[in-house]
Amino acid sequence: MSVTSATTGKMNANESITISQSQPVAEDGGYDFYFGPAHPGSGNFGVKLRMAGEVVTSARADPGYLHRGFEKLMEYRLPIQNSVLSDRICVLEALNWNLIHAEAVEELMEIEPPERAKYIRVIMAELSRIQSHIIWFGAFSIGTGFETGFKLAFGYRDYILDLFEMITGGRVYPAGYICPGGVRRDFPDGAPQRIAQVLDQIGRMVRIEEIEHPALPARTKGVGVLSLEDAIRLGATGPVLRASGLRADVRKDDPYELYERFDFEVPTREEGDAYARYLVGIEEVRQSVRIIRQALQQLPEGEVIAPNLRRIKLTVKIPEGEVYVRNEVARGEAGMYMVGDGGDKPYRVKIRGPSFLHMIPVLEHLLTGAQIADVPAIYWSLNVCPADLDR
Amino acid sequence: MVVKEAPEILDKIALEFKTKGEVRRKGRIWLDMPAEGFVDFCRWLREQGFEHLSAISAIDWPAEGVYGLAYHIWSYADKTLITLKVKIDRQNAVMDSVTSVWDGSAQAHEREIHELFGIKFEGNNNLTPLFLEDWEGPPPFRKDFDWREYVGDKCYNRENERERVYYD
Repeated sequence: MSVTSATTGKMNANESITISQSQPVAEDGGYDFYFGPAHPGSGNFGVKLRMAGEVVTSARADPGYLHRGFEKLMEYRLPIQNSVLSDRICVLEALNWNLIHAEAVEELMEIEPPERAKYIRVIMAELSRIQSHIIWFGAFSIGTGFETGFKLAFGYRDYILDLFEMITGGRVYPAGYICPGGVRRDFPDGAPQRIAQVLDQIGRMVRIEEIEHPALPARTKGVGVLSLEDAIRLGATGPVLRASGLRADVRKDDPYELYERFDFEVPTREEGDAYARYLVGIEEVRQSVRIIRQALQQLPEGEVIAPNLRRIKLTVKIPEGEVYVRNEVARGEAGMYMVGDGGDKPYRVKIRGPSFLHMIPVLEHLLTGAQIADVPAIYWSLNVCPADLDR
Repeated sequence: MVVKEAPEILDKIALEFKTKGEVRRKGRIWLDMPAEGFVDFCRWLREQGFEHLSAISAIDWPAEGVYGLAYHIWSYADKTLITLKVKIDRQNAVMDSVTSVWDGSAQAHEREIHELFGIKFEGNNNLTPLFLEDWEGPPPFRKDFDWREYVGDKCYNRENERERVYYD
């Protein structure tokens, strides 16, 4: 194709452009196809696909659109500031990242939060997991063309956001509610009753999600199959790993907070396809509801923050040392490596987000050889979050 | 589920490699390792069931002139986390890649460290940058890189009245 010069109206050889320069079509008929970052379903993330007809021949993850350099920023800030910053590591489950940051600082400083604070933390972390899974169902539904599921999910998520607003003051970002030493403030009056009511609503939602919409299994069964061997080799964790058949959950295997006190199951599937991951997610919501109900029942009275941090101190000393803490967040295994040098700021923080491996090696592996129509289904079945990949 | 105590693997390591590990708390082992023979040790460790490379962390110690690397490795069977710590020269920051042991996950972690710290991993065939586009500055997570200074130099204009506040 060529363009004509605007001034002379004649065609000018120098101005001629061709479409094939921007979208090269190779001799074998292959072409490049970019899924994201402007695709409404991709989030702030792109995958560069090499296509042959309708089949993806190779995929290359293109992250970086949300790289904010948290690891470096945290070196410049005090723990009290970092706990607010830790909200932003993953927008979709801010409280879980609050918790892991608080645990890292506590383990370095050898602080033990009071019992009641630990229960509140478990309740908030599990509520956060449920609402994160609900977003996952919403995004997964819309990615496979089931718009009702999307609206349903986001409607139910709002019940939990209302709880967050009541307890932490923020709907999406709790602004460091779970802080080193405990939690920032106690539950307001009537919070346990409100939580119990919301759990009933969530139970209703899970039952609706379970009603088989024929389009969903049709589009996800047998799609994006991840064998257990590949899952381990590529570093998959969380629901992705469990859907491939390994019963591994940090809450059970390496208990933190109070998880060894609660009775809950770790759901697994053998198939390893997109549909199996979805089913694991549904069951996890039900298990989280179980954990919260037990925690509400056992919730003791008492302080919610460690005595030496009761009065907010802007500067605390982070002793020399290093820790690596691991938590199970909604997407899988989260880790934080923190090094202290005796100053009031951490010397180095390394954040391990579960999506880092899910979105680079796992996604590239699953997309290779897939049909183009299955790309959104595979992408969303991994429960991804570009924010914790880029950090 | 029976959680095995950590020392069993620790005894094995002491027997095979004459290195002493330290148990900091239940299920957490820390080990200082030399860079020579590191990949062989990792391969042996993977054969013992340490299949999951959770993360690799790099730490910059400019005063000592070294980079520290910490490999956090989890065993699904033993329910134990081993952290291997290696120090490499800061001037000649080259490390053997563990992609032959942990494959895809190691490759992605090493790619990130190569971009943000400038450490080269020999044997990793894909070290293309992940996050930063057209970056020409030094590796940004090094301690001697001050992002405030960099942003002041490159992104703001001192002549501009609104942007002047960033320099005060």
